[in-house]
Amino acid sequence: MNTEICMSAAYFLKTSDRNLGGETVASVVITGIAVVFVALILLIGLVWCYGKIFEAVNAKAAAKAEAEAAQKAAEAAKAAPAVKAAPAAPVVEDGIEEEVVAVISAAIAAYGAQTGKKLAVRSIKASGGAPSGRNAWGAAGLAEATRPF
Amino acid sequence: MAIIESFLNTLYDLCMKSGFAGFLVDGGWKNIIMILISFVFMYLAIARGFEPLLLLPISFGMLLTNLPGAGMYHSELWEYATRTEIDPVTGNELVNDHYLDYGYILRHGGLLDMLYLGVKLQIYPPLIFLGIGAMTDFGPLIANPKSFLLGAAAQGGIFFTFIGAALLGMTAAECASIAIIGGADGPTAIFVSSKLLSKTDDIGVGTIALAAYTYMALVPIIQPPIMKALTTKKERGVVMGQLRKVSKTEKILFPILVTVVIALMIPDAAPLVGMLMFGNLLKESGCCDRIAKTAQNELMNIITIFLGTSVGATTKADNIITIAFGKVILLGVIAFSLATACGVLLGKVMYLASGKKINPLIGSAGVSAVPMAARVAQKVGQEENPTNYLLMHAMGPNVAGVIGSAVAAGVLLSIVQIG
Repeated sequence: MNTEICMSAAYFLKTSDRNLGGETVASVVITGIAVVFVALILLIGLVWCYGKIFEAVNAKAAAKAEAEAAQKAAEAAKAAPAVKAAPAAPVVEDGIEEEVVAVISAAIAAYGAQTGKKLAVRSIKASGGAPSGRNAWGAAGLAEATRPF
Repeated sequence: MAIIESFLNTLYDLCMKSGFAGFLVDGGWKNIIMILISFVFMYLAIARGFEPLLLLPISFGMLLTNLPGAGMYHSELWEYATRTEIDPVTGNELVNDHYLDYGYILRHGGLLDMLYLGVKLQIYPPLIFLGIGAMTDFGPLIANPKSFLLGAAAQGGIFFTFIGAALLGMTAAECASIAIIGGADGPTAIFVSSKLLSKTDDIGVGTIALAAYTYMALVPIIQPPIMKALTTKKERGVVMGQLRKVSKTEKILFPILVTVVIALMIPDAAPLVGMLMFGNLLKESGCCDRIAKTAQNELMNIITIFLGTSVGATTKADNIITIAFGKVILLGVIAFSLATACGVLLGKVMYLASGKKINPLIGSAGVSAVPMAARVAQKVGQEENPTNYLLMHAMGPNVAGVIGSAVAAGVLLSIVQIG
């Protein structure tokens, strides 16, 4: 019984207790930090586990979808006869991303379709200016992801 | 002649009943000081943008409560009495020394007394957490669960400040209430202090709330010098890899998991963590858009008004103009600084353990001032490397800090018991 009272005195305080001893304060600090860390480490473990499970499930689903898409593309290529040779690809300067080339080509094609002119992209070169640390897609993605904050 | 005398007497009576006369009675000058302080806080909120959503209602509550004769808040109604009660379950007699006569308060209280019921009965802080949960994206934390460690480390500021308060000879309730300021979370600080502090303590809930919200607003000033002092140029320049994409199912499971784990481990943290996670589940489930929007906007705004004005009302001159107030201000800034330092120091450990892949600056975001602390980490990081983008990485520890401070509050409430 006495032991129980001593234990209680060491770990639980009354709101009105003043002049808390060094031992009491140390026990509050150690208990507090330890409990917070244990609780959050437990959460790390659980979140990490289910994160791994979901990553595996998502990877499996993505692989399946990719395989299906590849199969469909192969079937479509077989079915469609080759009409004419593909036009020559534009000369692209090093450092320009494929996505940027695609966007420029699409914009030119849209403009051509609108005006009725037959246009072709022969080459794409950077016009200079300050180099950015992130490509346009990266910057747009970043802006989208961080907008709520 | 009699008419003039009667006129002058009536005029005298009116003057004596007016609030102006209240300034001249014993201790009335303290009210003038408090009103001037409320003007300073209003200036900080309106002109300087210091947490205006809370600081403005708090400062206006402070003004209202210190107007003599207005009678909107009565601190004497909130003084605890000691009563013997019968436990309805066991039938045993219990001595309750935190007894409040709510019936009497309802019959005789002013407007701000009524609003303060929500603070005293622990209603507002959990409802604010509901709104915060409905606005928070835990994606960065789920993508990088290690961030929880930084959120836990920053709570070190709370417990180390407990030592400082104890050394100054404060009561256990005061130590816990001041220490929780280090969590950089206003509702949590109000939750803990309103439960523990009583009239016998030298500080009140309003003092704690004022210090907490002022320091939260000062995060961009307090944190950067500490962050720079504890890190090298090379560490601050670390560019972190992209976070993985988190699926919707993971985001839905997260609040349920956190609620179950934390509420079972630390039941005293359940009101805060439970409501925080409920708000988040409303948002992530996607099936309760109307409720989620209400929690984020209307409910949050209404509670903010009630909480701010009623907490401001507790800052009556007699409670504030004391040496204890100076101690709160001093220990509050120490708590904040220690919390930042603890987060950054663990960030440094993780930087070394991860093979220099983690930028230790994100540790400073472990204090739960969301999203201010994360923005500060981003800003300090960009000063070293303008192309570095730490915001999303810092949001992980930042939201972990919200959970961490709620857990720390639960721990303090478990250790320091009413009595």
